[in-house]
Amino acid sequence: MIKITNLEKFYRTEEVETIALNKLSMHVDTGEFVAIMGPSGCGKSTLLNILGMLDDPDEGSYVFNDIEVAHFTERKRADLRKHNIGFVFQSFNLIDELTVFENVELPLIYTGVPSAERVKRVEEVLDKMQIMHRRNHYPQQLSGGQQQRVAIARAVVNKPKLILADEPTGNLDSSNGNDVMELLTDLNEQGTTIIMVTHSEHDARYSHRIIRLLDGQTVMENIMI
Amino acid sequence: MWKHKTFTFINITGMAVAFGAALLLTLTAFFELSFDTFHQNKNDVYQLYIEQHHANSVDEGSAMPIPITPALKAEFPDVVRITRYGDFGGSALRYGDKVFNYNIRCVDADFFKMFTFPIVNGNNTNPLADKNDIVISATIAKNIFGNQNPVGKLIEVKVYNGWKSMNVTAVAADAPRNSSLDFDLLCRFEQFPGYDQNINDWDNQSHNVFLQLPAGEKQAVFEQKLKIFVKKHYDANIKQLIHDGAKPDNSGQVLSLHLIPLTDIHFSAISSQSKAISKFYPYLVLLISLFIMFIACTNFINLSLGRAFTRAKEIGVRKVIGATKTQLIVQFCSESFVICGISLILGVIAACIFLPQYKLAFNQQVSLNILSSPAIISYILGGFVLISLLAGGYPAWLMSVRKTAQTVKGKVGAGQSSGLRNSLMVVQFALSSLLIICTAITWQQLNYMRTKPLGYNKSEVVSIPIGSNIDPEKALTQMRSKLSSYPQVVSVTGTDMNLGKGLDNNSSTSIMAFSYKGRTVSTNWLRIDYDYVKTLGLQVVSGRDLSHSFGADSTMVLINQKMAEELGEKNPIGDLLPTDGAKLQVAGIVKDFNFKSLHHEIAPLTMVIRTGWPINYILVRVKSGNLVSSMALINKMWKDTNPHAEIGASFLDENTERQYNKETDLSKIFVTGAIISIVISCMGLFAIVILIITQRTKEIGIRKVLGASVNNILFLISKDFLKLVLISICIASPIAWYAMNNWLQGFAYRIQIQWWVFVITGAIALTIVFITISFQSIKAAVLNPVKSLRSE
Repeated sequence: MIKITNLEKFYRTEEVETIALNKLSMHVDTGEFVAIMGPSGCGKSTLLNILGMLDDPDEGSYVFNDIEVAHFTERKRADLRKHNIGFVFQSFNLIDELTVFENVELPLIYTGVPSAERVKRVEEVLDKMQIMHRRNHYPQQLSGGQQQRVAIARAVVNKPKLILADEPTGNLDSSNGNDVMELLTDLNEQGTTIIMVTHSEHDARYSHRIIRLLDGQTVMENIMI
Repeated sequence: MWKHKTFTFINITGMAVAFGAALLLTLTAFFELSFDTFHQNKNDVYQLYIEQHHANSVDEGSAMPIPITPALKAEFPDVVRITRYGDFGGSALRYGDKVFNYNIRCVDADFFKMFTFPIVNGNNTNPLADKNDIVISATIAKNIFGNQNPVGKLIEVKVYNGWKSMNVTAVAADAPRNSSLDFDLLCRFEQFPGYDQNINDWDNQSHNVFLQLPAGEKQAVFEQKLKIFVKKHYDANIKQLIHDGAKPDNSGQVLSLHLIPLTDIHFSAISSQSKAISKFYPYLVLLISLFIMFIACTNFINLSLGRAFTRAKEIGVRKVIGATKTQLIVQFCSESFVICGISLILGVIAACIFLPQYKLAFNQQVSLNILSSPAIISYILGGFVLISLLAGGYPAWLMSVRKTAQTVKGKVGAGQSSGLRNSLMVVQFALSSLLIICTAITWQQLNYMRTKPLGYNKSEVVSIPIGSNIDPEKALTQMRSKLSSYPQVVSVTGTDMNLGKGLDNNSSTSIMAFSYKGRTVSTNWLRIDYDYVKTLGLQVVSGRDLSHSFGADSTMVLINQKMAEELGEKNPIGDLLPTDGAKLQVAGIVKDFNFKSLHHEIAPLTMVIRTGWPINYILVRVKSGNLVSSMALINKMWKDTNPHAEIGASFLDENTERQYNKETDLSKIFVTGAIISIVISCMGLFAIVILIITQRTKEIGIRKVLGASVNNILFLISKDFLKLVLISICIASPIAWYAMNNWLQGFAYRIQIQWWVFVITGAIALTIVFITISFQSIKAAVLNPVKSLRSE
């Protein structure tokens, strides 16, 4: 599903040029659950942003579903992204002014799903995440665990082929964290490819494979059994 | 303050522009309102006017007969002073071998005691003691006498049968520009043309009369006393009016005398000294200046509010450290005082710089001298303090009453202030839309008046004001013969009344009433000359034009269709009209034409060639094509005929245009008001959008990650504002419709207000607002979401 080759990304300020990704190559197959680990500043988030087509690489190739997207325009990337990729963030990134229902509905609005169909799909996914009873609440009224469920609901409502999760349990206690990992595992078992950035060895154990990064390069791959 | 350059800049620029514009407009309004207020006796002096009720109309006029003044003096001994004020008419004067042309007014000796026109040189106790005394204004004294002392010198004034010597007894200070009474020279009323002939004639109304009542006497009380006076002296007129079916007023009078307070004369539609500027006009100007200030203040308050909430944490921390509510309010207020102070200073500087352009563009006679009046100083300072307190104090108060724990967490959302902010913005945009609609409607009406066919040829006819230093009949004859050899000249004629307003700025009406078959018929009276119909391209619908080929055409008249209707005859051709003196016979009927401005309906008109009555204007019809060279030719010929001519010729279309100067000025004020208020509103909007986008950066990022396009984001941010603009237009439209419909009632010929004016205004407002929002929104929308998400 994903094949990247010799990917490079630099950050330039006036004085220094920092290399975030240094000729990085990797691949992820459809249906895989991959964890990316590494110390702070090793390029995990940069890699995730590029994989999520939020950012483009400076050099190298990124093939997504057999399409070379490394030099796609912003508009094309956005189009590809909204139909194929769901995001889960450490800080949930829910919109405070919208209710649970409206937050989850948002990606469907942007992909042009008709209203009746939206209601059906949002209700379906809220039910699945067991937060149906909170549908009219605002994010501030929910606990962290509940907020992350909403965020996951929002990520999967569009039935993406790929979910990118950036430290999804970072802001949660261990019990809520485990719940979230269970949810992700379930999704993966139903066929969604998942790439997760994490600091937690515990969470990483839910994945099939761990890619460890250091200074923008792959240093090790562990296959989980 | 300096940490937020954009906001400080927007605040100061907006407020400075508003202060500057408001200041100029305020000066204009105060200037208009200051008319005749410099007289010490302003509270006791009144102008007399007469009101006559007819069957279907009411006449009000300030022209008075000569004997009324001695009669008032005799019968009302408690009236302190009284003076007549008449125009000397042709006012050529001679000193040595130099000839001048100035305005001479004829007044009674009380004039200088009633009105505050200080004598700067000469007899200051009774400068018009003798019949042949004359008082000269300072500027004219300098023009005539140069550096010599004018007092005691003799000057000659042209009268109907030659020159008359008069003795300069005093020099008076020039009448201020805010004076309704203006004069170059003042002589005794006994010199008034026709004084001796009309000394006992109550029907010849020729001049104005001013009274000074005893201090404290009420106007209404004196008007009541005048009833007996009217009964005594106007008995015959009253009987005639009742006979003609006059409808009496509420108190049962068909003819009555009334007073106009001196300080109202400027705004009076009755007084002939008045500029007939509606009193509504200066207040409208004041209102627009308040609109502009309100809009700028709204920005200030909105930005302070917006920033107060982004500063919530700072305030919270200050409160935790121990700042009291008062300290916080003082801090906010002093910031707003500094910003308002800087703006006020910049605004005053800008007003001073732009004053000459402003005066030129808006035809306003404003001077900064008014600034020294205590009323305006307190008005400006009062406004300044009020604005500073409101703009600084309100957000401060709002913040300081919040719970400290809430503010320290920075948890005071902008949402809590958005109700007030939105209402302020609605009012802001409603005011701007109001001004746009008013601009559009005044423009439409002006355009309508400019393009409406008036029933005569206005583009190819040149009008020459004859002036008083040449015999008018001779001038006409000479011009006729001189121009007859030029092929581009079609015809030449003369008239006593200009069409439109010429370069001499005069307009006059003469109305005459006579008894026709037992009824009183009243008609406008126009002295014309041969070829008037041809020159103006009028259409004779019945009968014939006046012509040299019929010997006795000086006893024949032309009437317009309205007059024919007034006479009530099926075929009035050949009818005799019994005017005073000769009987005049109707020779022909011309199609109605707008001989007055479009403010007025076409009225009955009688045109006569009577050489005894002076003509004041020569009209020349030229062929179309190369009008410029025709004009040059006419000017050259006129200079040959009258080398002393001071006032140039003009095309009639320029003259008719000049009739609507007041409306043009009004539309200019609307346009400027609209532009300034829109610019200031948009500056505020711009800043608020920045604030909102800053607050919503993260949300925009999230939405982009979830697939929102730039258009989605633009719509997200602008929809709330566009909603506000729509509400504003809905509020502004009925108000504008009501106000402008009232304004249009002042025109006999007017446009219908069209619905699409409101739609277009709405579209314009929406577009401007949308563009303003787009600048910042697009910038935020194309920002890489990775960056906006990192910003938290």
